Amino acid sequence: MKVVDVHASVNEDLCKGCKTCEMVCPVYAITVGKREKKFKVEINHKRCVGCWNCEQRCPEHAVEMKPCDPYIIGTDVSQFDYNEIEALCRKARFHPKQLVCYCSGSRAEELAAAILSGAKTPDALVLATGVGAGCGIECNQPILRFLESAGLSFERRKQSFQWLGRTITVWEVPSKLKEDFPVFRFEEDRQLFDRIINASVEP
Amino acid sequence: MSGAPINPAAPRNSQYGVDPKYIVKRGADLEGMTSVLLNELIPDMPPVIYPNGRGPSVIKEETERALATVDFSKIKPGHRVNILASHHGFTFLGGEPYAEMLRTIKDVVMSETGAREVRLRAGLGMRFRETEEYIKAHGLDDYFEGKALGIAPIDAGIPIETKLGTLYGLRKAYDGDVIIHAHNSDVREVHFHRQVDRAVKPFGMSYARCETRSTYHMNLGPRGANFVARSIFESDFVQDKYGFSVFMIMSPQGVVNVDADNDLYALNDRTTVGGMKYYGKIISLFGEIDGCIAVLDFPCPVPYVFAAGVIYANMINANIDLFDLDNPLPPYTWYTETFYDHRGRPLIPEIPPVNPAIKMVVHNYAWTGYPAVFFAEQTPTIVVGEEQAKHFDRDPMNLNYMKHALLARELNAAMAFAYETTGTDKVIIFDGAMGGLNVSSSLAELLLKVAPSVCDRVENTLIPKWLDQRDIDASLLGAIP
Ligand code: SF4
Ligand code: SF4
Repeated sequence: MKVVDVHASVNEDLCKGCKTCEMVCPVYAITVGKREKKFKVEINHKRCVGCWNCEQRCPEHAVEMKPCDPYIIGTDVSQFDYNEIEALCRKARFHPKQLVCYCSGSRAEELAAAILSGAKTPDALVLATGVGAGCGIECNQPILRFLESAGLSFERRKQSFQWLGRTITVWEVPSKLKEDFPVFRFEEDRQLFDRIINASVEP
Repeated sequence: MSGAPINPAAPRNSQYGVDPKYIVKRGADLEGMTSVLLNELIPDMPPVIYPNGRGPSVIKEETERALATVDFSKIKPGHRVNILASHHGFTFLGGEPYAEMLRTIKDVVMSETGAREVRLRAGLGMRFRETEEYIKAHGLDDYFEGKALGIAPIDAGIPIETKLGTLYGLRKAYDGDVIIHAHNSDVREVHFHRQVDRAVKPFGMSYARCETRSTYHMNLGPRGANFVARSIFESDFVQDKYGFSVFMIMSPQGVVNVDADNDLYALNDRTTVGGMKYYGKIISLFGEIDGCIAVLDFPCPVPYVFAAGVIYANMINANIDLFDLDNPLPPYTWYTETFYDHRGRPLIPEIPPVNPAIKMVVHNYAWTGYPAVFFAEQTPTIVVGEEQAKHFDRDPMNLNYMKHALLARELNAAMAFAYETTGTDKVIIFDGAMGGLNVSSSLAELLLKVAPSVCDRVENTLIPKWLDQRDIDASLLGAIP
């Protein structure tokens, strides 16, 4: 759950049309085009989650974050049977109450609820939960792990740097690596994760 | 023996911190503060070449000396060479020593190889314009003739096939024919890297996409995750481009020397041993503090503010020996942070609490641009100044920070509240004071009293154990300054 209180806006006089903003936006809210010899940057404020990615990467400093009327993005977990939520979390190998996004404070159960609500792609999950609208880094794999566990595959947009792919988890580390590199303690870390995932859910 | 407070590091203009004009009083100016020199606490600290009164020219000489041992034959005159740097290096001693090391690498590479296209690619953590700010501040854009770039984890990626499957690097880091890994040896994030492959880490972080960083912090576990960097470094893709490494070797007192090697693992062994020797004692000494108020007062995000050459995250974790790999989980890492439930209860009983010796935090000056809500949740925190509170409220990574912190209009009021509530008069200030640390007299007394036995334990019991856990030959200890 995230409170959105800023939206991106572009000073087109400074824009050079490089499309970086479009490429880094996690929810594809930006389209860069050209009109009458001038670059035109369309920002869909219904999608903008105020993550600052475009503001931080525009090489021309053409993007500014402007305050908007604050509103909340999030998915209410209580609308679903908690057994279903729990099952999806454990399939994605998260404890339902485990934090998945340090910036929004969202927990695994909210990603599960968003999927049960119909989110099918990474951008849809960001829009439904606010996960991925802060640092834009650390929650990347939880998002992709949840989609995969729900059996959802998605096609990557060409016009984007984002959502490159799900990567390895500790449960998938080849046994040869575990044997060859004992200093990394893969097996002990896997056991720790298993204890977390299997812990009971307290109200 | 203790003396007047040491000058704290000055506030810095940055989009990630409040305007320095709002920092009207420093922790070191509080009544009853004194300083303890690192040499008094740890008499066998190695001599430093910087700061030593000679200025950055000594770094140039030292980098040239180190590079004289390196084989440059991989670099041909027509090659594009990428010097890969990271933001942390610029946070030491005002950033100039690291900037000077980078300039010198460029000059030596050009003169030794005839290559003309030598570029700087400076990776960063979560503040996507941070290295851009350093590049400007140190004139590196001019020095590299416009070929100096900050690279961020959401920039264009490149897939890299590794022993862990496909991971993702930053395209701009690898768009040269040859890469040079230019880093530092400071232990700082030992809660993440656990002094395992410390020297290799940027391949899984500064030079990597967000998918890879998330793999490190979410997918592989607190110790296993360190294999991410190794797997990328050992990939055919990276090995094909890798030239050599140059490291600014740090101790809590400053720059010890510059080390360079074509063999990153040889350099890694030396920095691993050096890190234990130079930082193990001061970090262990922090673990002896039985109760204190921590004042954050440095231009960096919360966990990275400095005292005695080590970061606040080292203090948060000082109730556990993080060099000891038998301890699975530090009190603070991004793994641990996820292991508390919606009511702040640990999901399993074995989650270690953050250092209970920190009774209260007075946040006088620290930056945004790093998710810091965990720190305010776990330790009572007072933020000084409304501007700073507003600054945190605006940061998409810290929208909830002030929900867990109190606000005080000024530092004296915050301290009066902290003294009254905690009942302790021990104060430690994370303000980047060089050569020592600013503390209250009561804490100075405690540190000076316990330091000899801590040094003895680290030297004779802990370092041999730490080395043994990593299969590192103890004779290397004698080979470093
Ligand atoms: S990143 Fe900046 S310059 Fe590039 S298209 Fe977007 S607004 Fe224009
Ligand atoms: S602030 Fe974030 S979500 Fe909004 S347009 Fe920019 S990149 Fe997209």
